[in-house]
Amino acid sequence: MDGIQRSVGRPMPRADARAKVLGQARYVDDLSLPGMIYGKVLRSAHPHARIRSIETSGARNCPGVVAVLTARDIPGENSLGPIIKDQPILCGDLVRYAGDAVALVAAETEEAAEAALARLEVDYELLTPVMDPLAALEREAPSVHAGGNVATHFKVRRGDVEEGFRQAAVVVEKRLFTQRVEHAYLEPEAAVAAPDPEGGVTVWSSTQYPHRDREEVARMSGLAQSRVRVHQMTTGGGFGGKLTPHAQCYAALIACKTGRPAKVRYHRDESLIASHKRHPYVMNLKLASDKDGRLLALEATYVADTGAYLLEGRSVLTKSMTHVAGPYYIPNIKADGYAVYTNTVPCGAMRGYGVPQAAFALESLMDEVAGRLGLDPIELRRRNALDTTLPTTTGQILPASVPFKEMLRRAELRAKSLRPLLQQAPKGKRRGLGVGCSTRSIGSIRTPSRSTAVVSFQRDGSVTVACGHVDIGQGSDIMMAQVAAESLAIPVDRVRVITNDTALTPDCESTSASRVTYLSGNAVRLAAEKVRNRLLELAAQELRCLPEELKLVDGAVLRGEHGLKLAELFSKHTLHNVTAVAEFIPETSPLDSETGQGRPAGTYSFSVHLALVEVDEGSGQTRVLKYATFSDVGRAINPLVIEGQVHGGVAMGIGYALTEEIKMTDEVSNASFATYLIPTSFDIPGEIEVDFVEDPEPTGPFGAKGFAEGSTDPVAAAIANAVSDAIGVRVERLPMTGERIYELLHPPQPS
Amino acid sequence: MNDARAVRLTVNGRAYDISAPPNETILDFLRYRLGLVGTKNGCDTGNCGACTVLVDGKAVNSCLVLAVEMDGAGITTIEGIGSPDRLHPLQQAFVDHGVIQCGYCAPGMIMAAKSLLDEEPGPTEEEIRSAIAGNLCRCTGYLAIIKAIASAAGIMRGEK
Repeated sequence: MDGIQRSVGRPMPRADARAKVLGQARYVDDLSLPGMIYGKVLRSAHPHARIRSIETSGARNCPGVVAVLTARDIPGENSLGPIIKDQPILCGDLVRYAGDAVALVAAETEEAAEAALARLEVDYELLTPVMDPLAALEREAPSVHAGGNVATHFKVRRGDVEEGFRQAAVVVEKRLFTQRVEHAYLEPEAAVAAPDPEGGVTVWSSTQYPHRDREEVARMSGLAQSRVRVHQMTTGGGFGGKLTPHAQCYAALIACKTGRPAKVRYHRDESLIASHKRHPYVMNLKLASDKDGRLLALEATYVADTGAYLLEGRSVLTKSMTHVAGPYYIPNIKADGYAVYTNTVPCGAMRGYGVPQAAFALESLMDEVAGRLGLDPIELRRRNALDTTLPTTTGQILPASVPFKEMLRRAELRAKSLRPLLQQAPKGKRRGLGVGCSTRSIGSIRTPSRSTAVVSFQRDGSVTVACGHVDIGQGSDIMMAQVAAESLAIPVDRVRVITNDTALTPDCESTSASRVTYLSGNAVRLAAEKVRNRLLELAAQELRCLPEELKLVDGAVLRGEHGLKLAELFSKHTLHNVTAVAEFIPETSPLDSETGQGRPAGTYSFSVHLALVEVDEGSGQTRVLKYATFSDVGRAINPLVIEGQVHGGVAMGIGYALTEEIKMTDEVSNASFATYLIPTSFDIPGEIEVDFVEDPEPTGPFGAKGFAEGSTDPVAAAIANAVSDAIGVRVERLPMTGERIYELLHPPQPS
Repeated sequence: MNDARAVRLTVNGRAYDISAPPNETILDFLRYRLGLVGTKNGCDTGNCGACTVLVDGKAVNSCLVLAVEMDGAGITTIEGIGSPDRLHPLQQAFVDHGVIQCGYCAPGMIMAAKSLLDEEPGPTEEEIRSAIAGNLCRCTGYLAIIKAIASAAGIMRGEK
């Protein structure tokens, strides 16, 4: 168009790809500062105990030890947390899970710090722990926190479920279970902190939210936020696991107390034991349909185990409950969700944020209803699919960009072509086909979500974009550059996107909730448009015309055939740069606390997945043979990035469905990659088909919306439906390990 | 340390005479003594492959191999196979196929693939999957990696 090379919609490699393949990208642990010391954390081996005393002298006298720090040494607030500050940085009084931090040793080497940990003597009074969320709800259960074990109760009330059940032709009822899983970012948590000469502190961080790191480090150290500067280093994955800055606070505490730079890096076992997980859920559902497959009522009670601390538990649970009806219209809903404290490893944000659990439950029941009615599972979904006239779980009608029915149509075609493969199972194997669907609100669910961008057009025609969300590998930097380039009609390689420094960027909230493309993308677009308009206004003065008559084209302003070089314009007005700030905040309204009704998000994205699996009758092992995805992205800003996100999201979903489970005794008992099994190259099918449906979102940047988590949301649901189809028994519990499926195939005979 | 031993080895073609403490892994030696931090530490237990380097052409988990065992050995790391002006075909293919997300597994993954292609210039898909089966990746779902390795193999064989 107009001879300008378009940026939006083009598959482009990430700018940092070259540095990463060369081994030149710098992650936190690659950084060493002169005089740097190392911190190690002493963690409780007990799930619930009172600390009577901590004897530190033995550790202090160990060779190489520089400092031994406990709760008493924290200059500011000894607490952190994204929603409520319920987690001590170092426990002073109580430990609430085996892995809770009790003391911190700083030494000249990591080995010296580690050796000194063994010389710390903590006198504990052991308390009875509560390890199960249902037990934690009992009246006589031990309290994990003062105020009881129910951290959140979220309600959805719409219509009259009893009336819906009375009218039903089919009612299905199930209890389903999902497990606790680990993010397993390849780079474990790490931070370096150094005091600065003016009394502040600088932190180099592996993080999804540098401004949160800054806030928590400032609270902990008693410094103003303006005195704390956080650099996000290249971050080796996050998936929701790097939103709360524990290692950053430890490193900063050492730096503040010793005056020396300090590094704290977790080893894999520590990461698995101490870091938060995805919430395990117990879900009771009752779903009713009329004889034609129109859903009438849903009653649901979900209990999420948030472990020892809330972290994002309240909003994860809210996300589940506000998506309890999935991508379907169900007129009558009564749903109650509880996030419950236990003395287990904390649970918080993880890719999907409460939707994978809810999708597994609802999609399982959808197949049960379809089976009872003798309807094709995709047809049942089509009959209840949301469109631009029907309300979501929270009563929100989405006026545009709801391509769910088109996605189902495409899925139906693909399912038809896959069905012949079902008959070709080798001897001793069974095959099944499953569908999984989901929707998700884009952005924070409990509070309005905001992004701010600063766009600056330089006199040489290059552009800088400063925006505080970070790229943790998902590819937002290149997409923000594409948005800015498109708005300003310049090539993408002239745009430099700066996100990774709290001193240079506005707080754009976290890289999470599939929010960056939609929220920050909009902020970048709006700021870039302000810059463009300013340039056109100045040029219009020169050319004595209206700005509307002008067009910005790669370094020049054109009026028909005639033009003015931007360089001339800059020179004439002695402009150094033209800078604008814009923020974007979608139109939302709060959720009603009694009914859960409201407009929590500016847009929703949809996903439809198909899985064809093969189950080995002898071992119960499941293999995914074919996998097809249909994703609603609004508009694809960068198809290459989207395809990568889909592949990775599906792979993570396959692990969730089939192998991954954090096991707890007193503490996490499978704290290594030898026992906690994420998918390898052999666990992924030959192809993950990626089909994105472009139905532009009018409020999105160039029609785009977020979708990244959508690539994980329905995976376990689709695979569970495929396995259930293969073995003829409903799977009610994740993960579907060989052992579990074997038991379903060969139920113990009553003696 | 008293029981440190003299070891002579080469890293990316350069010779070193070092005194190796008995518990020093080549991962630590490379990262913290030579500053070759392109090789990553993901698990310390040989389960993730992020630390993969070549020892005399064979891919090994450098977190499991001690420096004292390396007398006479030639080690190749990610820093030794390409440069910003001249990426190795595997590095170029990883860029072009949009493989790279967080990038933490990439150096180890590329070294594992190089070991395969040095031995088998025309690997099957199964052989590629097998060569990287010990290299975990949490971002990409492996498929783009497998395609990139196959494409690099073609380029290295002189096909295009």
